[in-house]
This record gives sequence, C-alpha cells and structure tokens, in this order.
Amino acid sequence: MTIPSTPAHGSSGAYAAARRQDLRLDLAIGFALLAIAVIIPILSPGKYILGQFTLFFIWACVVTQWNLVFGVAGVYSLAQMAVFFLGGYAAAMLGFYLEISIWYGAWVGAVFAVFVSVVIGAATLRLQGPYVLLLTLAIAVVIQALVQSDVNCFFYEGKICYPLTGGPRGLMKFGDLGFRDWLAYKQAPLGTYYLGLLLLVINTIFAFVIIKSPFGSAFRALRDNQPLASSRGIARVKYQILVFALSGFFTGLMGSVYAGHFRTIGPALLDLDLLLFLFSMLVVGGLGSRWGPIIGCIIIMVANELMKDLGEWRMIAFGAITVAFIVLLREGVVGVIQSVWRGYIVPRVPWLSDVRRSGLAE
Amino acid sequence: MTAFLVIFESGLSLGAMYAAASIALSLVWGSIGMLNMALGAMLAIGGYASFALVEYLPVPWWLGFLASLGVGFIAGAVLYYVTVKWMYRVPTFDTSIVIATVGVAIVIENLLVKIFTAYAKKQPFLVDDGILMGSVTMRYQSLINLGIALVIMLILSWYLNRTRAGTAILAVAQDRDAAQLMGVPVERIFLLVMVIAGVIAAASGVLLTAVIPMSPYVGHEPLLKAFIICVIAGLGNLPAAFVASFVLGWFESAVSYGAGARYGFPAMLVLVIIVLLWKPYGVFGRRRVTRV
Repeated sequence: MTIPSTPAHGSSGAYAAARRQDLRLDLAIGFALLAIAVIIPILSPGKYILGQFTLFFIWACVVTQWNLVFGVAGVYSLAQMAVFFLGGYAAAMLGFYLEISIWYGAWVGAVFAVFVSVVIGAATLRLQGPYVLLLTLAIAVVIQALVQSDVNCFFYEGKICYPLTGGPRGLMKFGDLGFRDWLAYKQAPLGTYYLGLLLLVINTIFAFVIIKSPFGSAFRALRDNQPLASSRGIARVKYQILVFALSGFFTGLMGSVYAGHFRTIGPALLDLDLLLFLFSMLVVGGLGSRWGPIIGCIIIMVANELMKDLGEWRMIAFGAITVAFIVLLREGVVGVIQSVWRGYIVPRVPWLSDVRRSGLAE
Repeated sequence: MTAFLVIFESGLSLGAMYAAASIALSLVWGSIGMLNMALGAMLAIGGYASFALVEYLPVPWWLGFLASLGVGFIAGAVLYYVTVKWMYRVPTFDTSIVIATVGVAIVIENLLVKIFTAYAKKQPFLVDDGILMGSVTMRYQSLINLGIALVIMLILSWYLNRTRAGTAILAVAQDRDAAQLMGVPVERIFLLVMVIAGVIAAASGVLLTAVIPMSPYVGHEPLLKAFIICVIAGLGNLPAAFVASFVLGWFESAVSYGAGARYGFPAMLVLVIIVLLWKPYGVFGRRRVTRV
C-alpha cells in the first residue's frame, strides 16, 4: 500500500506542527459548537425548535458523509439520498414485517447501505464527471419510480390494501426509537435530540479522521490528479470502493434514525427538491472542506427557517443562492473565511504569524 | 399485428416528443461541454410562452408558436449571461455547470408556479384529430411533432455544416483553444449555441405540451429521457440523438405494453445504466482523450 505521507513542500517538522495547529483549531471549534448544542435543550426552547435541531443533526451527518465522496474524493455522486433512503427503508421494513426493533434494524440498514453504496461506487468506476452525475441521478430516480408506482396489494389490513414497499405513501407503524416509553412523554424529544447530537459527534470525528488519515490524502490525490496519483501507485478502484463503503455506513444508519424519529419513511425522500436542499448545504459550506458540511447545514437550515412563510419564493431563493455560490464563491463560506484569515488577519496579528498554515479546509 | 401497431404508434409519438429536446441537449453538450439541467425549465418556458400569448392577447396559435421561439431565444441568452459566461474557464466547469443549471431550473420552475399556478394548462397549438391505421389511430399531432423535429434536425445540420457560424461552432466543439487561436470569438459562439438551443427547446416545449398536460414541472421527465437518449447516442452526436429518440420511444412503448406502464421509464433507466457500464461513452460515442 503506497500512500503519500510526505508533504508537497516544507520540512516534515513544520508539517507536523501545522497538523497539530489544525487539530487544536478543530478541537476548539468542535467543543464550542458541542457546548452550544448541549446547552440548548436546557433553555427549554419548545418541541418545534428541538425537532428542527434533531433534523439538523441528521442532515449534517448525511452531508458530512456526502462530502467525503463528493468533495474529498471528487466522485460526483448524487445517489447519497438513495443510500440514505435504502438504509432507512431496510430498517423500516424489518420493523414492519418482522417487528424487529429499529435499534437492531438500524445496523442491518447500515450494512445494507454499505452494500448499496459499494455497488454504486463500482458502477461509476468507468465514468467521469457529468456521466457520474447522470448515472447516480438515474439510480435515485429508478428507486423512487419503482417505490412510488408500487401499488400491487401485498397484504390487506381490513379493507385497506398495502403494497410491499408501502407505495407512494411509504411505510408507517414500524415502531420508533422508544423514547416515549423510556422517558416521560414530554421528555421524549430530548431523547432523539441527544441521540442525534451523539451521532453527529461520532460521525464528525469519523469523517475528520478519514480526511486527515493517509486514506484522505489518497482520496484527494485521486481527485486532484488521477493519472499522477495512479502512477504513484494509488489504486483508484480500491480507494473509490473504500470511500463509498465508509460513507455508506453512517448515511444508512442516519436513514434509520430519520425513520425512527419521524415514524414514517417514504419515496418523497428522493425528491429533487430535497436533494438540492442538501446539496446547497454542501456547496454553501465549501466542497471538500472539513467544517464546510456543518457550517453549510447551519446556514441553510437557518435560512430555511427565516424564509418559511415565503412559499414558492423559498425554493426560488435556494436556487438563486446555489447558483450564486457555484458561480461566484466556489470555495464556499469556509473558503471565504479561510482566505480572509490567511490574507488579512494572520499578517496583521503578530502572535499568529508563525502559524501560516492554519486551515479549516483541506 | 395490433400489438405491433400500438407499440409503433405510441413509440413514434414518444420519439417525436423527445427528439427536439434531445437535439437541444446534445448540441449544447457537444459544443460547450455543458450538461444543461435547465433544459426542462426551458421546455416549460416555451410551452407557457405560447399559452400566455394566445390566452391573453388576440393572436392566433401559429403566431403564439413563433413568438415562443423568440422567448426561447431570450431564455437561452439569459442562461448564458447568468452561468456560462462566468464559469467556462473554471477547471471543474463540466460539473459546476450542472449544479448551476439545476439552481436556475428551480428558480424558473417556481417562478412559473408563481405566475401561472401549478394547475395544468391546455396548449393552444394542438391538433386533436387522427388517421386510422388498421385498428390504431395515428394522431396528427404525432406526425406534426415528427415533422417539426425532422425539420429542426435538417436545418441544424445544414447550419452547422454549410454556414460560417456553424463551422465556427464545430471548430469550438473540436478544440476550443485552437479555435480561439485561429480567431474564433469563443464567447460569442457559446452565446450563439445557447440561443439556438433556447429556440429549439422552446419549439420542443410547445410540441411537448400539445401531447402531455402543461405544468411548470412538465420538463422533468423529458429532460431525464433526453439525457438517456443522449447518453445512449453519445453526448454531442446530433444525428445519433435523433435516431436514438425513436429507438428509445419504441423500447419504452414495448416495455409498457408488455410489462405494464409502470416499468416503461424504469426500464429505460436500467437500460442506460447498462449502456453506461458497458460503453461509458455511449453506443455511438468515442472515447474523448483528455489531458490533465
């Protein structure tokens, strides 16, 4: 296994120092965000706000994993929501037909999502750029079309006909995460809130470790210059499959958390609008950067909340924001912060000047 | 024999519906290297332009059709000035432009919902009659659509191969840098291509909404099908896109007839997945050698 471990320029001592600096910065940002997230429920903000935060944790996880494939490894897959959907659906079907608790079903769903993700990763191996977008979008559309048009009755409950997959309505009544039984009814939203937060923390550490590890370097090398990376002995096939497998696990797991939280899961999850919503998080935050997904997710969720009463104008605004960022600010918010930091703040603050290479992005 | 006629008729009308859209998609891909996800929205613009003019102004349907071509012209130019002009030099252009045009499409579609509501409208450019072929009725609208798609195809081929501007488009398609060094104004050629594609998309939108009910999202399915057609034909290959439209139309009809309507579209998508895996550059496509 050949992995580029030496930096492109500078001595390895300076490189190690910069890495430590990055780690300190990451920990500082991480603990600050975590502290805020832990404190929020104590302020008793009400059920709606807690629910929105839980949703934020779920989307932040999904976008973080998507960023590994799309941003870090540079494989332009739009099948992220399909992996999420299938992971959650597997758990929901186990709960519905075999009455397996979603706490166990989630792991089966995650493993199934890894399998699906690997298949998609393998299918896109021979393709490049826009063809990858097309194929992965086609896969997502096929899955949605097949579930949505599934109207053959698989069994009857009374006189109501249920298709195998639930059809356009999706699945319901497959159980939930059980916080209602364990905690007092009023405290139940806190259960999902902290579960979501815990998973986001684990998920973020997982993603950061991958990005900072030799694997991350290999992914970036293949993204930036595939012929050169291949000629240096980085096996493209192996790494592409690997990144899809790694990101598929948490994506599928979060699908089950989504299903358990909302107690329903349906083909509407594969709508293009939702895909663009999550995609705008990825683009606004900064493709391929470490903090980009979370920062983008915060910005877009807050913007979504502020524009809630605007009706169609909300989607128009999302479209316009995505276009503006991709045309004007391709590095995203993290890229802007980083260039301001490097270009204006570091040169003007003496005690920072020995830390040239501090970076949120990779 | 009846089954064959049914499949033949419905495949022909499907193919005629998709042919013009596929040509617009293929042209832009071939010359600019841009996968135009806003094409679906441009189809809707064409349909609504014709509808609005005939509905709110005292103009006949054929004037509405011609005026919608003008609206398509403007739409193509606007899309160029909003996205392509600022992005075509970026190394990740081929993927960034996909995202940008998806954003533009969302904006256009929601604006159309805002203006015309999401309820289905009736296209004034519509011929209801048909001719009986054995036991199957061949709609005149399908024949008209087929005829117009064929005319568009022929005019475009003539334009690309026989005129100075067309040759410049082909030159830019083959090698942008070399064309620029020879004095071809690349930006103006891009604008020209976008405008031509806008006009074809508008015409295609009017034809399309004569067959299926017109809503702001009417372009979604034709867009995906045009993609499938172009991928199978090899993106950028115009005559192959035209032929593939009909082959795919017949394929879809045959699957719908044999296995049920719900499998028609998924079968096409599965077909394209197989084609992409087997020949990553399309059945008629050739590998593009790219330097890094």
